Amino acid sequence: MPEQQVPQQQMSGEQIKALQEKIKQMSPEELKEFQKKQCIFCQIVSGKVQSKKVYEDDDVIAVLDVNPANPGHILIMPKEHYSIMPQIPYEDIEHIFMVTKALSNASLRALGVQGSNIIVANGVAAGQRAQHFMVHLIPRKENDNIQFQVPQKTIPEQELQKVRKALSESLGAKAEESEEKMTAVPLIRKQKVVEAEFKEKKEPRKRAKKKEVKKETKTKGKQKKANEGINLDDIAKVLGPG
Amino acid sequence: MKTRESCLICQIVANRVPSYKIYEDDLTLAILDINGANPGHCFVIPKNHYPIIEQVPDAELANLFSVANKISSAIFENLKVQGTNIFVANGIPAGQTVAHFMINVIPRKENDGINLQWKAKQLSQEEMSTVELKLKEQIQNVGVGKIEKTEKPETAAEKAKIPPISDDDEDDYFMRQTKRIP
Repeated sequence: MPEQQVPQQQMSGEQIKALQEKIKQMSPEELKEFQKKQCIFCQIVSGKVQSKKVYEDDDVIAVLDVNPANPGHILIMPKEHYSIMPQIPYEDIEHIFMVTKALSNASLRALGVQGSNIIVANGVAAGQRAQHFMVHLIPRKENDNIQFQVPQKTIPEQELQKVRKALSESLGAKAEESEEKMTAVPLIRKQKVVEAEFKEKKEPRKRAKKKEVKKETKTKGKQKKANEGINLDDIAKVLGPG
Repeated sequence: MKTRESCLICQIVANRVPSYKIYEDDLTLAILDINGANPGHCFVIPKNHYPIIEQVPDAELANLFSVANKISSAIFENLKVQGTNIFVANGIPAGQTVAHFMINVIPRKENDGINLQWKAKQLSQEEMSTVELKLKEQIQNVGVGKIEKTEKPETAAEKAKIPPISDDDEDDYFMRQTKRIP
């Protein structure tokens, strides 16, 4: 929220109140400008603050986290300032996660890692620290000392039923609402073409990789050099059946 | 539809195993986790079988995250929570336990016992620059998919063209894997 925009400065209660008052009187445009000025990530986007950019296009920027959980920890952000995910138009959401997927793929190939975590925090209770929406992409290796805790609780049947009803109704209603939009801009778009392009690019490389994998089995120990020859199927299939 | 007999998630998609469904469309299914971290913790799943994110085609991936976002909004509106997490574990070192790609959407409250934080590792400027260069180079090779914004619903005929994954391949792979382990 905007009143929390100045974390680096300690302010007195009165100053905070004055600021809150000022913010209340701002027009939406002014507010947006204000947020942008206060947001360090907007300054990274505009280039006023230096960063290690690994990817950029018209709408999205991806930079290395300066306090990484692991080497290659990437922040993927929309250039536009949004605080949380529900504020973002869905085309932008889709694009952000396409970039995330591509970067995950790139980190498997570039960094010799065996997996990745994708984390979004919406709200302080969820662990959000920055005011600018971002996706964390954290490359993962065995024994890298990262321990995420997602406890498993036994949720009573009644509670499950209640939540299911509330959410499915809410989502069902939304689906109807957005039906008009969906026919104009359907979610399934030219799937065939996209896939065909993808295959064309990928297949020759994949074959080359398989050969490399075979070589590796013969010359164990020198596997690390062949980082680029990573085979996605290896990472996928090692998971075993579902 | 790419399905696999041995995959529990595929069985759920095929309705052979019961589940608490909250959303379904042609490509995507969302169900409640009965052992969730919080009530409303759910899995957003591609109906086709893909173990990891890199294998999910762009159009399906876009739909999955779009649905995850809708669910995140619905959770905010309906469950009186203070936040949501989107969490994906991709690969065994990342904590993935089921070989079917899924997005966790987790409702959050203060002090709910969930921890998705990390300790920052100290890297030298050189290390950071090396990582930056390597990633920049590989992202060029990999390329970012684009979703064409045109109307083209998937027809049944197109669906039928997608060949099923053969379980044999996987068995072969496991045999090869076991041989590789000294």
